[in-house]
Amino acid sequence: MTTTDRTLAEPAPRDTNVRYNQIGKPLVRTDAPGKVTGRTPYAGDYTMPKMLHAKVVRADLASARLKRIDVTRARALPGVACVLTAADMPDRNIATDIPGQTGRDRLKTDQQVLVRERVRYFGEPLALIAAESRDVAEAAALLVEVELEPIAGVYDPEEALKPGAPIVTAPDNVVATYRIRRGDVEAGFAAADVIVENTYRTQFQEHAFLEPEVGLAWVDENGVVNIRVSTQVIEHFRAVADALGLPHNKVRVLGAMVGGGFGGKEDVTVELYLAILAMHTRRPVRLEYSREDSFVGHGKRHPFKLVYRTGVTRDGRITALDVQALADSGAYVFLSPYVLLYCAVNASGPYRVDNLNVFARAVATNNMFTSAFRGFGGMQACAAYEQQMDEVAGAIGMDRLEFRRRNLLRTGEPMATGFVPPSSIWTEKCADLAWEALGEQTPDDGPVKVGRGIACYQQSYGRLTFLKDTSEAWVGVEIDGTVTVRSGVTDIGAGQASSLAHIAAEILGVTLPNVIVYNSDSQVTPLAGTTTATRALYMTGNAARQAAAALRERLVAVAAEVLGAAPDAIELASNRVAVADDPARGMSFAELVRLCAARGVHRSELAIFRAPFTSPLDPETGQGQAHPDYVYGAHAVEVAVDTETGEVRVLKCIAAHDVGQCINRAAVEGQIEGGTQNGLGYALTEEMLYREGRLVTPSFSEYLMPTAMDMPRVQSIILESRSGIGPFGAKGIGEPALTPVAPAVANAVADAIGARVFEYPITPERVVRAIAGRDRAGAAAGG
Amino acid sequence: MHSDFDLHLAADLDDALASLAPAAGEAGRPAAMALAGGTNLIVDLRGRRARPRRLVGIGRLEGLRWLRVDAGGIAMGARTTVTDLLESPALAAAAPALHGAARVFAGQMVRNAATVGGNIACGSPAADLVPPLMALDAEVVLEGPAGTRRVALADFYTGYKADVRAAGELITEIRCPPRPAGSANLFYKLARRQGDAITVVGVAVALEAAAGRCRAARIALGAVAPVPLRARAAEALLAGATLDAPAIARAAESAAAAASPIDDIRATAGYRREMVAVLTRRLLTRAWQAIG
Ligand SMILES: Cc1cc2nc3c(=O)[nH]c(=O)nc-3n(C[C@H](O)[C@H](O)[C@H](O)COP(=O)(O)OP(=O)(O)OC[C@H]3O[C@@H](n4cnc5c(N)ncnc54)[C@H](O)[C@@H]3O)c2cc1C
Repeated sequence: MTTTDRTLAEPAPRDTNVRYNQIGKPLVRTDAPGKVTGRTPYAGDYTMPKMLHAKVVRADLASARLKRIDVTRARALPGVACVLTAADMPDRNIATDIPGQTGRDRLKTDQQVLVRERVRYFGEPLALIAAESRDVAEAAALLVEVELEPIAGVYDPEEALKPGAPIVTAPDNVVATYRIRRGDVEAGFAAADVIVENTYRTQFQEHAFLEPEVGLAWVDENGVVNIRVSTQVIEHFRAVADALGLPHNKVRVLGAMVGGGFGGKEDVTVELYLAILAMHTRRPVRLEYSREDSFVGHGKRHPFKLVYRTGVTRDGRITALDVQALADSGAYVFLSPYVLLYCAVNASGPYRVDNLNVFARAVATNNMFTSAFRGFGGMQACAAYEQQMDEVAGAIGMDRLEFRRRNLLRTGEPMATGFVPPSSIWTEKCADLAWEALGEQTPDDGPVKVGRGIACYQQSYGRLTFLKDTSEAWVGVEIDGTVTVRSGVTDIGAGQASSLAHIAAEILGVTLPNVIVYNSDSQVTPLAGTTTATRALYMTGNAARQAAAALRERLVAVAAEVLGAAPDAIELASNRVAVADDPARGMSFAELVRLCAARGVHRSELAIFRAPFTSPLDPETGQGQAHPDYVYGAHAVEVAVDTETGEVRVLKCIAAHDVGQCINRAAVEGQIEGGTQNGLGYALTEEMLYREGRLVTPSFSEYLMPTAMDMPRVQSIILESRSGIGPFGAKGIGEPALTPVAPAVANAVADAIGARVFEYPITPERVVRAIAGRDRAGAAAGG
Repeated sequence: MHSDFDLHLAADLDDALASLAPAAGEAGRPAAMALAGGTNLIVDLRGRRARPRRLVGIGRLEGLRWLRVDAGGIAMGARTTVTDLLESPALAAAAPALHGAARVFAGQMVRNAATVGGNIACGSPAADLVPPLMALDAEVVLEGPAGTRRVALADFYTGYKADVRAAGELITEIRCPPRPAGSANLFYKLARRQGDAITVVGVAVALEAAAGRCRAARIALGAVAPVPLRARAAEALLAGATLDAPAIARAAESAAAAASPIDDIRATAGYRREMVAVLTRRLLTRAWQAIG
């Protein structure tokens, strides 16, 4: 449940003259009726005649040599169409790092499609099966004979850095390194009254989307491999084509409504296997992962070890910060370098740190590979900088909010990379509002102690600017006044498509149900890039706005002429066009479009939006622009901790974010509530555990996300600075909603028990141990 | 992926017993297994941990689904569901321990299907209904080819996932003796989250008092040994005693000593043992206060 405090929600926006008819309102999303009634088809709902069912056979060791794989018995099983191993296909790899980007060199560690010789992680695919039914495919999988010879692996990034460690990624397991250097760190520490050093650790986290990976592939009449798949990125068609040795225009990826992505459907998942099997069998092939397949089938959030050393004066000024970050990138590179970069550029968070040194590395191991996950490295940085802010405040005996206030970045000031974000920075306002909204503190109850925590954050929206991101959208009006938007953007449940409709509806003055969005088809809809990096609204929303605005101009010109008024006196609203100060002089929008059609006016527009293009950050100093812009806000929580059992209950959750401008307020609240749930799990219960690389939490009975029973009421305080560089001054909320949640919880637990658990998840057992440690330390100090 | 099996939906108890009767089974593969709510068994079939040749569905045996709470005690058929327990105000009054366990059991959909008999028979050390039933001094009624017999639940388990049932024997009833005046019982499930989680430590206590002294105490522990068990030494410390804080603390420590937990992904053995002491102390204190 959410309440939006309207008095708080509408601070004086930068542009106070703007009045929107639909933007910012909590309208019913265009995708809502179909989802509520169950009529929306997802990728798994599509079937075809003569369709085969696929299964992936996986390795059950994390580091091994494939001595023998014998598929004779599996192939002989009645109903089996094919069983393919690496021996059956050319020795091609699949790109694992930002494929399809504009001509960048790729790291040379792309993933083998199927294991040829060396198994590098638990669950690495060995064989693909297509059969007449799922049951037959499953039965055939059990008949594949596999002989693996274990090879010493490495399962800890620190071990992987030691001389003589097994090498997963040549030459030294280091897959990426970033440095940020600003000011004079030595001098900064010399000027400090107090120096505080702590080590924070984060865990592997699973996306656990509702809809496991699924897709259907077939070869069409053009000889094009079509893949209908649940994905965040239809533009993987290029990577799939490269892996198959096909021209790019011979692979088409079609999306469907996606049942959750969170970064877990950002990499290629089932589409390559589907394409291989469909081409081989010349029949449609469907592949659906079970939850267990899904858990081993896609990358996880990177565990980080973050060592923070902060110098501070007694009056609460940060004089220096040194950050050493080490990420476990697992057995393949995937998006590790980029995740690491997000951590590095956000290492000092929304704070002014003039003397800064960041050294961040991602290191290969034989653990599950790690890749994109909502928050993308910015999350782990926030885990450390916000816990450290509390620790430092405690060390100098200063109020936690006051200490933050004294160091927060303000609008117009440079961040860690020297870049000045172009938008407003309203962190302080968010923090104050969130803290205040906690209200009266719940009293302690015997051994149950209540504590409070806050976390501020900085999180980018839009992709890394050196990736030179673009997005396209097409807007057209039909003769009856209805509107169609076409764009390749994928809708992963956050209302990406609905937002485009909302934007077109506002600009063209039609009501939202009169707009239809066709999206996510790599051959048919204009390519819009990925739905990742809190970029869909920023990028594709801007493209849709541009297209709709250009179209509007043409329509208004005709209206002005017909109504005998100046174009800027024409208003489009509620499916009508009229003269602003004389509404009786007008006509229906449909009539206007009909008039335009009769005159041969071009009734559609294709627009491209380009993010800022920059060169990469300076390799030595890390200075430069990394992202288009940043979102700021704060999350406050109150928790009750049972100090004898270590159980933590979250009592209150207040999220305050400056989203720039809501497009759909209800959708923004949805993101905040979902982000909160994900963040509470990250802080308290969720962890993918690997022993010698082997997953020991293979299902939802071991991997614990917060349930309805665990969720507090979430209060959203939505601020609108209208300063963002998205449409109408919007920023973004997809990732920001999640970023500060877990450190706020960690800080609240520490506040409640007077000790800190320096590691996620904050389990009851770790809480009890932290309390025992506090008591021992107290006893030692006392005696 | 399921292993191949026949499914027989039994029409009545006799049919069920006849279908469950042992035939010449393959070695290591039980010939027949009862299928009640299926909330354990189907998961085990999918994971190929259970590979029966025949499943005998007892879902149609409405005669095994009943719950009676009266002067004669608490009694129920084996097919009584966790939701049935939850929806009984009489049970909530008479056996807060059992009712409380039903409240923190799984989620709503599983509670609707999960049965008391299945919870006992699945043999999980973390089965949540078992410690409360042990604390309530339950006995289990077994029916099989050799007839009917009764076994105290405290004597039911013989080892990890092993019990006294002979092949083909069904649990048909669970009975607890009447609750004397001046008694109280409570249960606490410690888990990694509030909803739908496997128990890390479960403790149930039942106290009977007369004239300011404890007449009888039963303490049952879940998830801290290969089987749910009674902490008999701790119970003996309490019998006849006045339950002041030191007495309760001694019993709590004794209960912890009775546990033989393991390390697993949910918690370490050390934490579990410590929590047995904490929870036992708290529950005894509250139960004693409740008796007044
Ligand atoms: C999501 C989920 C959450 C769960 N949460 C909990 C929880 O919080 N606490 C908890 O304790 N358990 C939990 N469980 C486990 C399970 O629900 C319980 O153990 C349940 O009581 C089993 O009952 P059932 O009727 O489903 O048994 P079934 O699965 O049908 O059978 C289980 C076993 O008992 C045998 N059996 C069943 N009935 C009889 C009988 N009358 N006589 C002899 N043998 C019989 C079967 O042959 C089988 O071996 C959970 C399971 C799931 C899937």
